[in-house]
Amino acid sequence: MKKNFLSVLMFGFFMATAIVFTSCDKDDDPVSGPTDPDPDRWITVAGALMGTSPGDGNGGTMVYAVSKENAKDSTYSIKVYDDGFPVKSNRTARLQSSEDGKTLFNIAYTGDNGGEFSRYKVNGGNNFVQEDVTVNIAQYASTSPRWAKLFDGDKTGIAVNVANIAANNASDATQPFAYYRGTATVLALDLQEVLIRGYKQYQIPLTTEEELLGHCIFRLDAPVLNKAANKLIIGTWMQKRNPATGTTESSFTRLGTKSVVVDYPSLENPKVITSTVGHGDCSGYRSFNSFTADDGNIYQATQRETSGGSRILKINQSNEYDNAYVFSLDAALGVSNVYVDCWRYAGNGKAYVLYSHDNAASDYVAYLDLSAKTAVKVAGIAYDEDLDFGQYQGVLVSGDEVYIAVTPVGKDGNIYILNSKTGAVTKGAKLVNKAGNHYIGIF
Amino acid sequence: MKKRSFFILLLFIICFSSFADSPKSVVSGMVKDKEGKPIEFVSVSADQSQQSTMTNEKGEYALTLSSGKHRLRFYHLNFVKSEQVVLLSNGEREQVDVVLKDNTNTLSEVVVRGKSEKENIETKGFAVHVIDMQKAALQSIQTNELLDRTAGVRVRQNGGLGAATNYNLNGMSGHSVRIFVDGIPASTYGASFSLNSIPPSLIERIEIYKGVIPAYLSDDALGGAINVILKKGMRNTLTASVLYGSFNTQQANFDALFRDKKTGFTVKASGFYNYSDNDYEVWGKFVRNILPNGRYDYVRAKRFNDAYKSIGGRMELGFTGVKWADRFYIGYNGSDAYNEIQHGAYMSIPYKGRHTDAQAHVFSLNYRKTNVVVNGLEFTLNGMHSRRKEVVTDTVKWNYNWFGEISRGLDGNPILRPSGAQQGAPTLNHINRNITTVRAGVIYDIQRNHKIILNHILYNVNRTQQDFMRSAVERDFIGTRDLRKNITSLAYEMKAVEGKLTTTLFGKYYQQDIAKMDPVLKAVEGQTVRVEETLNNRKTATGYGLAASYSVLPKLLLLTSAERAVRMPSESEVFGSPGENIVENTGLRAEVSDNLNVGLKAGPFSAGKHQLDAAVSVFLRDTKDKIVQRINPRLNDAVQTDPFENLGKTKSQGFELELNYTYDRNLNVALNMSRFNSVFNIQYDSNGREYDYYNKQLPNEPFFTVNGMVKYALYNLVQKRSTLNVYYNCGFVESFQTTWLALDDFKVPRQFIQDMGLNYVFPSKRFVVGFDVKNILDKQAYDNFAVQKPGRAFYLKLNYIINNF
Repeated sequence: MKKNFLSVLMFGFFMATAIVFTSCDKDDDPVSGPTDPDPDRWITVAGALMGTSPGDGNGGTMVYAVSKENAKDSTYSIKVYDDGFPVKSNRTARLQSSEDGKTLFNIAYTGDNGGEFSRYKVNGGNNFVQEDVTVNIAQYASTSPRWAKLFDGDKTGIAVNVANIAANNASDATQPFAYYRGTATVLALDLQEVLIRGYKQYQIPLTTEEELLGHCIFRLDAPVLNKAANKLIIGTWMQKRNPATGTTESSFTRLGTKSVVVDYPSLENPKVITSTVGHGDCSGYRSFNSFTADDGNIYQATQRETSGGSRILKINQSNEYDNAYVFSLDAALGVSNVYVDCWRYAGNGKAYVLYSHDNAASDYVAYLDLSAKTAVKVAGIAYDEDLDFGQYQGVLVSGDEVYIAVTPVGKDGNIYILNSKTGAVTKGAKLVNKAGNHYIGIF
Repeated sequence: MKKRSFFILLLFIICFSSFADSPKSVVSGMVKDKEGKPIEFVSVSADQSQQSTMTNEKGEYALTLSSGKHRLRFYHLNFVKSEQVVLLSNGEREQVDVVLKDNTNTLSEVVVRGKSEKENIETKGFAVHVIDMQKAALQSIQTNELLDRTAGVRVRQNGGLGAATNYNLNGMSGHSVRIFVDGIPASTYGASFSLNSIPPSLIERIEIYKGVIPAYLSDDALGGAINVILKKGMRNTLTASVLYGSFNTQQANFDALFRDKKTGFTVKASGFYNYSDNDYEVWGKFVRNILPNGRYDYVRAKRFNDAYKSIGGRMELGFTGVKWADRFYIGYNGSDAYNEIQHGAYMSIPYKGRHTDAQAHVFSLNYRKTNVVVNGLEFTLNGMHSRRKEVVTDTVKWNYNWFGEISRGLDGNPILRPSGAQQGAPTLNHINRNITTVRAGVIYDIQRNHKIILNHILYNVNRTQQDFMRSAVERDFIGTRDLRKNITSLAYEMKAVEGKLTTTLFGKYYQQDIAKMDPVLKAVEGQTVRVEETLNNRKTATGYGLAASYSVLPKLLLLTSAERAVRMPSESEVFGSPGENIVENTGLRAEVSDNLNVGLKAGPFSAGKHQLDAAVSVFLRDTKDKIVQRINPRLNDAVQTDPFENLGKTKSQGFELELNYTYDRNLNVALNMSRFNSVFNIQYDSNGREYDYYNKQLPNEPFFTVNGMVKYALYNLVQKRSTLNVYYNCGFVESFQTTWLALDDFKVPRQFIQDMGLNYVFPSKRFVVGFDVKNILDKQAYDNFAVQKPGRAFYLKLNYIINNF
């Protein structure tokens, strides 16, 4: 209690000083810019606690909200593990925030309340108030659901799941083998009413030849709404089983990257589209992986490419892969086997990528120009051998500013504010860390 | 380390120096009854069991003792015990003949005998607890409940009768605690003959060893062992009981022994039947139906998929007390269990139709002979072959609510379970195990006060599995895993300082072989064929320890024991799991724990009719190389996930307290308490930063428990020579966190559960009627987070006992 009181006091003190400083800054500092559309937005920082081993993030999640001024103040310290609010989730919470930053959305991951969607009112500091109503999607999407918020003004969340992958002849050996398929679930969650709006369950076939080889969709993840708001594009994580043995293959010739397109809002008519440029998965991991850009096209990152590292793929407004668009991050960054842990479209055809690559001394952040197909490693960030964006969930875009929490496992770090227009880098508040823990996002 | 080796050396010096002892004398004689008939199987012991023997069929006995004064004790279940003092001079033979009086109260005599056995084990220095089952068997109580009332033991059950159980001994649990039946790993029998199904009346006693385990219980038990000793009578008996109670609980069992005095031919037979619907009510924040729109509807509901049934029988034929064997049996033990599973780790999602069937056919051979080849050499052999079958069935594909109805979605259609069946993918998994266990032991009394014990156990498991929900092709490519453990232990027991000091030194050598066979497709001469790829993995480890007790004052005993205990990595930890894509790590080492117990036993102190005894002990468990799975999110889950590694370090320290008070033959009050701190024990990360969890209580540890018991006996109340016993039991468990996050939502609340019971012993002592009320106040009881245990329940039990038919 004493600690809490102290932190509130400290918070107040820093708020006051920060306001004084930033008000001085505003006149002569073009980086923070007068164009910030939402200067009062809360910046919620999330940290994952270790469970049994460092960096596993299985000990739960804590959050702490500060003002933008504080977030940008490199003399300000945020101690999420001492002062933060624990989010009700057995393991790492799957967080998203409202566009105005005033509401935090969480789906608990595993545990007695796994699959439970709840909303927290963000009041600053560790004052998060859970709203009365919760909704549980576990019956449809399991207690460890994969979900994303659509960029539709905080109206909708989409959760997806693939269950029970089995051979067509599993129970009837007289039938010849034709495919491995699971049952997919696509569910729409009304984030405002806190209700399940609708769901559909179906099998999603690949081509006959692909299925005969044993390819199947292992997971769905990272859904995105297209420009026309009439289709959802859902990322896939592919698997291949050997039809002659039934065992999962660890190395195989990958098919072109596939996405599933379904009608919106009906969630019906699943259709698979295939890229000829990328061959990796496009499911992302615990965060967004596809974005509808200002040009109306969807840009998607790939993971687990067998050669040449992650690509950025383009899906056009007819909801098909544009195979004329070739953007290899290996080529653009001049390193080999780039792996996109997490990325975020920042507006105006620009994006930021959190990535690793072969023989890298750290994980890095790159600044991307999607139309020019260029990528540059962002300088001015304190990279570190223990920096691992593998579980990173939240890159916040607010106007031209992009907020990233950079903390190596067990080491202190900082919030960095990247200007997507100018490419400028500002070191923000200090993120005080603890052994085995890491910060996983800003919301 | 240096200190410890010095200590061990010192002990060796002490015991070897006492070899040069005084010359021996022999005391012998005959034991007869009032009519002058010799009595067989009278236990004759000198100086509080330091030396003991039994009379033969002619009532004769002989004991070799040092010269000086000795107190001889004669007892037999059916006679009043007798004590004689004898003075022996150098090398002489002395004759002591004894006449024993008939015992009129057989039942209470059973209690006396049990207690002395308990005392015998509990005073050797180990941190051991012996539960005497004779009295308890008359009540409506399950074996697990009795264990749970013992100091330092926490039994955590995932529901009612037959539900999955986890044992916590002084903060060590799971794989760290091994269960034995008559010194043989209980996994030989499997789920159908386990602490869940064996009724208390078939058990003579249960020994609970905490942290330090004697050499004859050979297994890689890191944190402790629970050894169930089945009844071993030598006289003709028949006991039977039936029980009926809440939740349609029905239990019946019998136990019979017949021995032909002339030939020594002995038949032992026992059987049991347990059934319960377990349809008790559950309520509260974890019990909710999920409406089509995802909202919760909190309900009060009866469990609907939780029935449990087990049935088993055991038959042993052989000879006892014959020239060539003290005991020779061949036996068969058959058991079968059916267990419905209502939910997974949490009760928030109810299951329908998931159940397991387990079956075991166990054939055994049992031989024991004392004074084999030379005097003082005892040989035992236990051989077992077990065929175990287990079937896990989970094929129902819909979601169900707490009313047992199919959950429907927004469109009114049933909702498919997100993973295909209730708990995971649909399964009809048949797991067969052939288990061979051979345990051989030699005990040699080198000389008075010096004993060597050599023990070897071979434990071999061949496992195959077939999931009939997989295609024929897939089933053909499921591998097999064979496990073999060879554990050799050597112990040296000695008594010194006029019998005040008892010491046991022991060493254990573990060898574990795992053979893995995975079928693969290979191109051989242009053709693709199925080839069985095999891989063997051998691991060895050494453990050692000591136990010592010292009688500081006649009624004050100091006990201390220490062991470097190990746990070998399991097959799934070494080879991973193809089902879960966990990759192998053949370099995995054994988990190691340095365990220490120090205790003090005081009493019994008597003042008139009051009697009090007390015990207190402290313990430490320092565990290294704990096997945990490291998480690396970049690995492709579709292909592989992380292996297990020796990363963890934990420490558990705490204390136990026990008090036992009796007043005359009427009142008995017992209280025990246990508190431990089981902490994360890695101090610094690779950057030298201290872990926040360092020295902090690990989540999900019931660290503070108190148990209380009051028993009052009323004699001759209704009928002459009848007894009415009234019992009261209570258990307290302090609230504990289940995650590192200190959230109230993830806490197991504080528990205080009270039970009451009474039983009436008819004058003939043959009939006992017991009535029990469990959880009198109908409180919400939780062993595990979000899993409610049964509320108030009533049970009636009838026991029938005949001795000496």
